[in-house]
Amino acid sequence: MSDAKNESAVLNRFLMGNEAIARGVIESGCSLATAYPGTPSSEIMESLVRWKTELKSSIYLEWSINEKVAFEVAYGGSLAGKRCAVAMKMVGLNVASDPFTSAAYLGIRGGLVIIVADDPGPHSSQTEQDSRFFSWFAKVPVFDPGSPAEALEMTIKAFDLSEKYQVPVMLRPCLRVCHARQNVTISHPRSQINIGAFEKNWTRWAATPKFRLALHGELNRKIETISSTEIFALPKLIAGDSQSSRIVITSGSVSSHVRDVVSSEAKMSGLSVYKVDLPYPANHSALQSLVDSKTETLIVEETYPVMELQIGNRTKVKGRMSGAVPRQGELDPEAVERIISGFVGLKPKDFEAPNLKVRRPSLCAGCPHRPAFFMIKKLFNGAIYAGDIGCYTLGVNLGAVDTCLCMGASIGMACGFAQAAKQGQDGELVVATIGDSTFFHAGVPALINAVHTGANFVLVLMDNNITAMTGGQPTPATALTADGSKAVPIDMERLIRGCGVEFLEAVDPYDYHALENTLKAAKSFSHEKKAGVSVVITRRPCIRSKNAAVSKTKFQVGENCDKCMTCVRDLECPAISFVKQNKNVRIDPDLCAGCGFCVEVCPSKAISVWGI
Amino acid sequence: MIQMILCGRGGQGIVFLTRLLGDIATRKGLDVISSETHGMAVRGGSINSHLKIGSFSSPLVRWGHADYLLSMDMLETGNNRQFLKEGGVVFENSPVASESGLFRVDAARIARSIGRIQLENVVLLGFSAFLGNLEVSVEDIRARLSQDPRESVRNYNIKALDAGVKVGSAMKTTGGSTG
Repeated sequence: MSDAKNESAVLNRFLMGNEAIARGVIESGCSLATAYPGTPSSEIMESLVRWKTELKSSIYLEWSINEKVAFEVAYGGSLAGKRCAVAMKMVGLNVASDPFTSAAYLGIRGGLVIIVADDPGPHSSQTEQDSRFFSWFAKVPVFDPGSPAEALEMTIKAFDLSEKYQVPVMLRPCLRVCHARQNVTISHPRSQINIGAFEKNWTRWAATPKFRLALHGELNRKIETISSTEIFALPKLIAGDSQSSRIVITSGSVSSHVRDVVSSEAKMSGLSVYKVDLPYPANHSALQSLVDSKTETLIVEETYPVMELQIGNRTKVKGRMSGAVPRQGELDPEAVERIISGFVGLKPKDFEAPNLKVRRPSLCAGCPHRPAFFMIKKLFNGAIYAGDIGCYTLGVNLGAVDTCLCMGASIGMACGFAQAAKQGQDGELVVATIGDSTFFHAGVPALINAVHTGANFVLVLMDNNITAMTGGQPTPATALTADGSKAVPIDMERLIRGCGVEFLEAVDPYDYHALENTLKAAKSFSHEKKAGVSVVITRRPCIRSKNAAVSKTKFQVGENCDKCMTCVRDLECPAISFVKQNKNVRIDPDLCAGCGFCVEVCPSKAISVWGI
Repeated sequence: MIQMILCGRGGQGIVFLTRLLGDIATRKGLDVISSETHGMAVRGGSINSHLKIGSFSSPLVRWGHADYLLSMDMLETGNNRQFLKEGGVVFENSPVASESGLFRVDAARIARSIGRIQLENVVLLGFSAFLGNLEVSVEDIRARLSQDPRESVRNYNIKALDAGVKVGSAMKTTGGSTG
């Protein structure tokens, strides 16, 4: 990357992939960017905020309520003639898929770049789906960067390509690009680009089905032109020499592992490596002639066989379709070494998986979700616990989460469980849990549905005033927008009342007795009186947020402790552990956050304030 | 060309150390690439980050290729040993005595004595940078930490760095037998 230092280069910085992408957005002359947080994409918007401040840019930034809305806001900005970007993680694109696929037909005006961060592995996601297939499905060109430096360059190319062909363009960084850091050369931003005000044209922007057919034809022609004429769609040599008879074709973040493995192993020196920057629409005839001219080709791409399937005759191709590349899991450097060794006929090195003792993730000590889950388990023992996506998925450790499908699904699924219970399994208790950001994201329509259909269940809305798992982004209830300007906070209680909920109570989850009494009342409303959905808001700021009132008080276990393990097993606080050596339960003062909930939890009243 | 793994539990400052080293290397004009762990794993779970200085493309260290393992936690040393190359060196935060190829410092105790347990990562860094050849020297690190605009943060970090260096230096003179 050091060869890319051009004259306009202003600085060399050690940047995370997401920071580099955000820099690319700003350098492209983008006027508006939206996002919904999700690992590994979240730092894109956070970095945009920092670049905006550093460069005193006037770019408009927002954390949108969900990905569908984020896409629509950016699309509107594009039709108004501005360059716009929208960022999300790959499962977020499922939420935005409706406007995304339609926008490809209609086209755009100002350059529109959709940044979708994939998570092969998956490290913190429900699936490891390949967004490049989504781009293929929607007929949207996709850039696949291999490093933070390349991600910055490709972001700028994506805007240019988008405007040139008037199509949305996707940038698909994987986790190993998003959360990699690299020395990256940054440049002065272009001034914001404006291609002129919105032009009314209902046959395009409000096209009826008859016109959509014509637009589909137009899109097909654009894709064909990009595939056959754009240099990014061609395989380019990145290692070895073009005379090799056996080659590897690769793309995206895995291409960096391929290059390092091939160039560090003497036994692989006969191989050459080609990379495609735009895997859809790849130049399929160039790929085919490359494959035909060689004895054998291995295709290594993440996560699905997108380039591989664009090659018509695969008799000389090894890859996912032939079984040479595993069909699931991240292609980390060890996997890449194994795959390429197999391809060149070497016995792969004996990789013995180490015997790991990995700590499982847990809710933080002092997390306000923990007491809520503890009390749910205590009062609703044996219930079906419909869970959701976020920190509170970790309620599974406390035995109070049974399901986890996608954002907002706890309420929709609880409705299904409750309706099923009416058909004969009467008496089944159902408790749904969801966080504040997820509730706004996709929970509200599901709650309306549950109220409207008379489903009987308890919904515990864990309001920590933040999108905690992805690093503490604001929610619609926050009075500030992404860049710190003033926002209109949405009143959660008024919203829930507006959905028709009759039982609504808010409680501090640290308050053992208030929490217990409120949940009991909700249980009585939904399950004894069968009077519909009851909503309990457990409200306290995330222990990691700056609004958290963290106590300096520490707690200790006294001699009354009879080792019943209630605190260790049922409360599952990471600060409390059983010490095998002296057979004692101990509270680690370095970890204890001083919430004091364990004092009430302990049946033998053995926990007290430290030093008393 | 150097490859290392930094590991520990979520919250022990692994990401901070990685960024610090990468930032210093960048300012020195070196090529550097790294990979961080974010998300659910950070909630007290096992965490590691990879750091490579030199002309690498991949942000990940392959098993058997790391020159150094900087470990904030004994258990995590075990979870990351497969990355270490033959003859690779471990720097570990633990109260136990050092042994061949495994240099230990009780960084937690030292950090507590300075007044902040959060400084244990900087203590380990000072110790490792003194004893190992990380391409980034103790002086480079001191210069970078001295640039922090917050006076209290700056002072604490320098104290922690020097405390780590001191243990490393004592160990060097006694031939690695200090605990």
